[in-house]
Amino acid sequence: MYNRISTTEIDSLVEPARLHKRLYIDRDIFELEMERIWGQAWIFIGHESQVPNTGDYFTTNITHKVPVIMVRDKEDQVHVLHNRCAHKGAKLVENREGNVRGAFRCPYHGWSYKHDGTLIKIPNEAGYEGTGFDLNDACNNMQPLAQVESYRGFVFATLSSQAPDLKTWLGGAIDCIDNLCDRSPDGEVEVAGGVLRYEHECNWKFFLENLNDTMHPMVVHQSVVQAAKDYIDSLPESATRERSEAEIILPFGSSYENFEDSGITGFRYGHHYDGGKTSIHANYTVMPEYHSRMVASYGEEKAREIYSFNTHNTLFYPSLTIKTAVQNIRVVRPVAVDRFIVETWSFRLKGAPDEMLQRTLLYSRLVNSSAGMVGPDDLEVYRRAQEGLESSGSDWVEYHRQLGRDQQLEDRVVGGGTSDLDMRTQYKAWKEFMNGEIYR
Amino acid sequence: MNNSLDIKAVETFLYEEAALLDRPDLDNWMKLFTEDGTYWMPAREDQLDALNHVSHMYDDRVMMEIRRRNFVHPRASSKDSPVRSSHLLGNIRHQGKTKQGDLRITCNFHVVMWYREEQRVYAGTCEHHLVSTADGFRIRHKRVDLINPEAPQKSLIIYL
Repeated sequence: MYNRISTTEIDSLVEPARLHKRLYIDRDIFELEMERIWGQAWIFIGHESQVPNTGDYFTTNITHKVPVIMVRDKEDQVHVLHNRCAHKGAKLVENREGNVRGAFRCPYHGWSYKHDGTLIKIPNEAGYEGTGFDLNDACNNMQPLAQVESYRGFVFATLSSQAPDLKTWLGGAIDCIDNLCDRSPDGEVEVAGGVLRYEHECNWKFFLENLNDTMHPMVVHQSVVQAAKDYIDSLPESATRERSEAEIILPFGSSYENFEDSGITGFRYGHHYDGGKTSIHANYTVMPEYHSRMVASYGEEKAREIYSFNTHNTLFYPSLTIKTAVQNIRVVRPVAVDRFIVETWSFRLKGAPDEMLQRTLLYSRLVNSSAGMVGPDDLEVYRRAQEGLESSGSDWVEYHRQLGRDQQLEDRVVGGGTSDLDMRTQYKAWKEFMNGEIYR
Repeated sequence: MNNSLDIKAVETFLYEEAALLDRPDLDNWMKLFTEDGTYWMPAREDQLDALNHVSHMYDDRVMMEIRRRNFVHPRASSKDSPVRSSHLLGNIRHQGKTKQGDLRITCNFHVVMWYREEQRVYAGTCEHHLVSTADGFRIRHKRVDLINPEAPQKSLIIYL
């Protein structure tokens, strides 16, 4: 068990431009975050394309301790169920993905369940006769999550019955899911090319804070950008293939001015994105074959409009971050106060040439892999912060950048690309989740 | 099987390559690769494809050149901590030739690595495609299959 923390105490940890170090290092705070943030928000579970056929399942954890199964039933309905037998609580499915033909069968006493979680059969059932046990009581099923919904194939679930419907919760940031899907000539995406799992030995919030922290790339990634530049300078004029390959790295060295221009947009419930009109991904060339298929589907003008909505990172607080222009996502799975996993999934734009997926996978490999040339430098600085915050040197971290300059519009807040607007957005939500005001 | 192959010479080459990674000396390690040489660490068991499936690493010489320079850059903070490896290779076998006519050599590896105040273990199998040249062997392709490619991985800042 952990110690409860009062609402007053929580409120005192989040100031308008300062955060108390306990947010990152205190195990009791972490447990409360699991209950009140991860236990109340809509959490990204997976994409419907991961379970294309009847009986296909995918397992994950919705909080650090709550295993769930996403499964497709024979009516083509996708369910998210607790991965737990109603009898003695054993986890029903251990594999990350697979297919169950007829039923989930508990490996302990053989209770079996339909794909929608309904209890089918208990071996030697006679022993329950006259005991008051009711086979048809829903409490003996695999339990569904409080709410499950999907938007354009993205399946979310929440442990809270108080959370508003998914579309309301996604708010204006929903444009980013639309834009990702609209980049497909068929208007649909599917998970393809496998997953990378990256272990982070630090608090999960460092990763979220870093997504749209545009003051860090030119410092943290200076070395790899310089290495790429030095290499490019060493090339003969004729080495065009080598040059264009090495240039993939260069956007990480974008200037402060460039990032400032991209802007940050914040929404309710902690969501935000950087970019819109422009981003560090704005200068990718559009492949002619892809473009002609897009034009065939949408017409020239609409196709251009789709590419021009150019975001860098979009965060659906707290579990999902999307790179629309790259077509990959990173999913956050907390484990402990100083440990979490980041999963990188890549998407195929249905109807687009194979080279588009290959480009996405190249990006995932170079940038998001644990053995890449970008991710390890990010993780290094999170770990330095995790270690440094144990120090008694000060109790606070600060986020003052462009405080007081954010512009409140109807459903969103907009501000400069190098501002701490993203921090203000997520910590406003953090506080509301933690003190219980989020859905009031 | 090519019985005339001097398997001892192959073993010696693999041990020397491993020693360069142990040090690590990426400048000289890279020289062991052919101009079209590649290094691949798949992200799943029995992965068939490096382009249509994600990998932990899939470097051609362009990426090796960037990695080599980045590795010694004073501002690469993930490289502030020293990294030291100890490779043990075993079960070295000649498995015929590739379509291109290169020697196909497989081995098992154990690597103990010291990085960021922590000792780690990596294990798996390696496949080398070797070209015989006047200056000895060169690597056209090196594939490193971890026994746990699907598991969450920690930062890996050096080739295995």
